[in-house]
Amino acid sequence: MNELVVTLGWLGIYAPMALGASASAIGCAIAGQASIGAMTETEGGYGRFVGVSAFPSTMVIYGIVIMFTLNREVTPENAGGLFGIGILSGIALMYCGIWQGRACAAAINATKEKPEIFGLALAPAAIIEGFGVFAFVFALVISAGISG
Amino acid sequence: MSDPDAYIALISSLPGSERLFVAKQPPLSRLRLDRRLTALTPEDAHVLKVLEHALNWSDYGMDVTDAQAIHRCKQALGDIPQPTLRKLLMERMDLRTAVAALRLRKRGGNPPAASYGIGRGSRHIPANWTDPGFRLKGAMPWIKEAQQLLGADDPLGLERLLLSVSHKQLKRHAARHLFDFEAVAIYVLIWNIFDRWAQSNAQDAATRFEHLAQQAMSGAAAIDFDGAST
Repeated sequence: MNELVVTLGWLGIYAPMALGASASAIGCAIAGQASIGAMTETEGGYGRFVGVSAFPSTMVIYGIVIMFTLNREVTPENAGGLFGIGILSGIALMYCGIWQGRACAAAINATKEKPEIFGLALAPAAIIEGFGVFAFVFALVISAGISG
Repeated sequence: MSDPDAYIALISSLPGSERLFVAKQPPLSRLRLDRRLTALTPEDAHVLKVLEHALNWSDYGMDVTDAQAIHRCKQALGDIPQPTLRKLLMERMDLRTAVAALRLRKRGGNPPAASYGIGRGSRHIPANWTDPGFRLKGAMPWIKEAQQLLGADDPLGLERLLLSVSHKQLKRHAARHLFDFEAVAIYVLIWNIFDRWAQSNAQDAATRFEHLAQQAMSGAAAIDFDGAST
């Protein structure tokens, strides 16, 4: 039984990193496809499109930091805490990254028609980034209470 | 429900559908549109072809009967798995049924038998034949204006009204689809409306007529009526 609990603890440590990397990959792919499509239709501003499509890459950075914060000797006592914080923060980052990618794709699609709304079009993606930061910061705060 | 992210690059590579109606020059020709649509999967390309075949007037011969048109529509409904596209097709058929009934009544045609056309008005219209708007004003608020334009013998005005109603229907569905196949299909249907809209431009038509008339006149001047050289 203890082995299973310890395994879950290790899963919790690596989950934010794995799910954050998946989130960034999917989000960047979604937004990147939009920027490629927009480049075939517009005459300039390509750098902006590529820049926006890289927004979801922050999720993997948050995941890495959470992983290092959680990284410690796993015991049956602290494994539950590591698992809970790691998995849930990873899922939060996963959703934030995928939906941020979709928000960026919509922003790129709108901006190619009306470049003047570039800043405003990024607001939804920025708000989603804020939710990702919440998940990140509070994972760090809560992890301070885990023993080990 | 289609994959919501299936055609992100394709949709992003198309000019906004709103721009189609304000541009002086068409921002996207059918040739270029078809080239972009090669990104569709064979299954989606088939569905789009079926949908366009059922909706495009140019795909109907002059001698097509009501029964043939209804059969084609029913066949298309069987081939289209996406609920949004099926709904969209039925909405357009509702519109066409109502307009066909208005035209038939204006020509003094007899009230149809139990059923007429296809869609939700097919039984309602014969039952309310004497009402000016077939008692459909709630579901089809445009029917009063269509009847007035038909009465005033303004086919261009009627064509534009119907295109505008169809465009609004498509935009309503487009709001729920951003990058999936339905979004692509709706874009193509809006492009078709733009194409018909451009063809119904009175000024362009007058210019084209004048150009053709001048061509014909210059050709007539060169004709050797008496066999003598000119």
